[in-house]
Amino acid sequence: MRTARDERARVRGAQGGSVSDLEALFRTHWPRAYRAAYLVTHDAAAAEDIAQESFLAALRALDTFDRRRPFGAWLHRIVVNRAIDWTRARRLRSEIELSESLQTSERSEAPGEDVLAALAQLAPEHRAVVVMRYLLEFTPGEIADALGLPRGTVNSRLRRGLDTLGEEL
Amino acid sequence: MKRKREAPVTVTGTRPGDCHPLYTLGQIEIPGEHDARERSWALLEAAFADRQPSPRRSHWPRVAAVAVALSALLAAALSSPGRAVVEEIREVVGVERAQPALFSLPAPGRLLVASDAGVWVVQEDGSRRLLGDYREASWSPFGRFVVAARENELAALEPDGDVRWTLARPGARSPRWAGTETDTRIAYVDRTGIRVVAGDGTGDRLLVPGARGQLAWRPGARRELAYGSSQEVQVLDVDTGRVVWRAAHRPRLPVTGIAWSADGSRLLVLSRSALRVYGARGNLPYEVGPGADPFQAAGIAPNGRAAAFVQQGGGRSQLWIVPRIRPDGSAARRLFGGAGGFEDLSWSPDGEWLLVTWPAADQWVFARVDGRGIRAVSNISKQFRSGSFPRVEGWCCTH
Repeated sequence: MRTARDERARVRGAQGGSVSDLEALFRTHWPRAYRAAYLVTHDAAAAEDIAQESFLAALRALDTFDRRRPFGAWLHRIVVNRAIDWTRARRLRSEIELSESLQTSERSEAPGEDVLAALAQLAPEHRAVVVMRYLLEFTPGEIADALGLPRGTVNSRLRRGLDTLGEEL
Repeated sequence: MKRKREAPVTVTGTRPGDCHPLYTLGQIEIPGEHDARERSWALLEAAFADRQPSPRRSHWPRVAAVAVALSALLAAALSSPGRAVVEEIREVVGVERAQPALFSLPAPGRLLVASDAGVWVVQEDGSRRLLGDYREASWSPFGRFVVAARENELAALEPDGDVRWTLARPGARSPRWAGTETDTRIAYVDRTGIRVVAGDGTGDRLLVPGARGQLAWRPGARRELAYGSSQEVQVLDVDTGRVVWRAAHRPRLPVTGIAWSADGSRLLVLSRSALRVYGARGNLPYEVGPGADPFQAAGIAPNGRAAAFVQQGGGRSQLWIVPRIRPDGSAARRLFGGAGGFEDLSWSPDGEWLLVTWPAADQWVFARVDGRGIRAVSNISKQFRSGSFPRVEGWCCTH
């Protein structure tokens, strides 16, 4: 079982130039980073870029990273903020027309499809809060801190998001 | 950050006895997760290797490794031919046992070809369709559409030739399409400079006034466009206009080719005198020339790890491959040579084959990257109803 001490050791190792420690950090945290980005953006290519960019940002800041802080929480905060920015900036362009029609006709009933579809109905800001709470396991206080929002706003977004999801599900 | 939770949650996001559907967020299947993870790790590992060493560590081992690798490369590029994996085509112009027509492509994907008759799509089974009277074209990022240009028009087409939209612009040329499934854009050059328009034909705007360079979008969601002039290579954030990075181009010769690897990790820049492969952040991990024979064409493998180039000298052309673009990688090795000039070079989408065009022989030559095979096709001009030799505009896509 991994401990905070193990993680600190890996961060220290990566800071010292150990590729294996960097890889261990990557393999531990990438799945959730990618998943969180995907659940906010609903775009696999964007999620890949966002997760990748976030790790590169982490790498750039590695030498000055405070090892007492949890690496994963710090990384995921970057990921979610980038995912929200990307989603806000997105403009629907023509290639979606074909891909959407294909998705509609070929939609599978894989586990979680209904949740994914319901999540897509939420505004990006609400989606991000739900993903942070239920996938990344942030507390409302941590979400407020990560997104620079009052805690009351986080709670109301969470509530409204859950209400909408409740209707959809 | 101190964290406090009301109930323990497992790595997959589920709690014993908790059946709220949101706790399945950790279990939903995400498309392409494994491949995305490995691509990201390759990029991160390369960035880690390129990271500035900490002050206490010596720079010399890395500098020495780079110097050794570059020396090997230069030696390979400047010297007489080294180990040829494929038998040299002697003084005969053309591959002797060539097929008389293009019956099929050796790898999955479709080709885009420009001839005097217009722009063509070639399917894997060799069938060809003329899209219309356009001078040049390129694929959309997922190969579902084509953007084509003629003298005063830019057009988005279906691969069967149906026109989705057109835009009248004076001297439109060099269109390049990029983006994700939900957000695409096209860059092109006209008489005013480099322009950008959304994939649905809206929002056309001037990005770099007066610029005329070669263009290449970085694949993926980032809106980053590379362009090369005679003086420098720039990568721009198209939304903000910010220069992400730039590199001086010496000697000052026009950039004749520029291309990102499909994973966005490397940018290949070619001029007559030099071939350079930059990392995604503008570092320069690989360079051949100046001083070598002139470069005619070059391409970077879809995975960004290998490159190929064509050099011309003494009335002959040579196709070289660089199997690993790393300072500690092996030198270039020659795949194929022949009399006269080779022109275009394209990688197959699966990275297994190279297509080299050979106007003097009126042939296309497909060469396996591992050197284990060659297929040639003759009568190319006739098949594409062209007086001049057709240009290969792109080989796309496996999906």
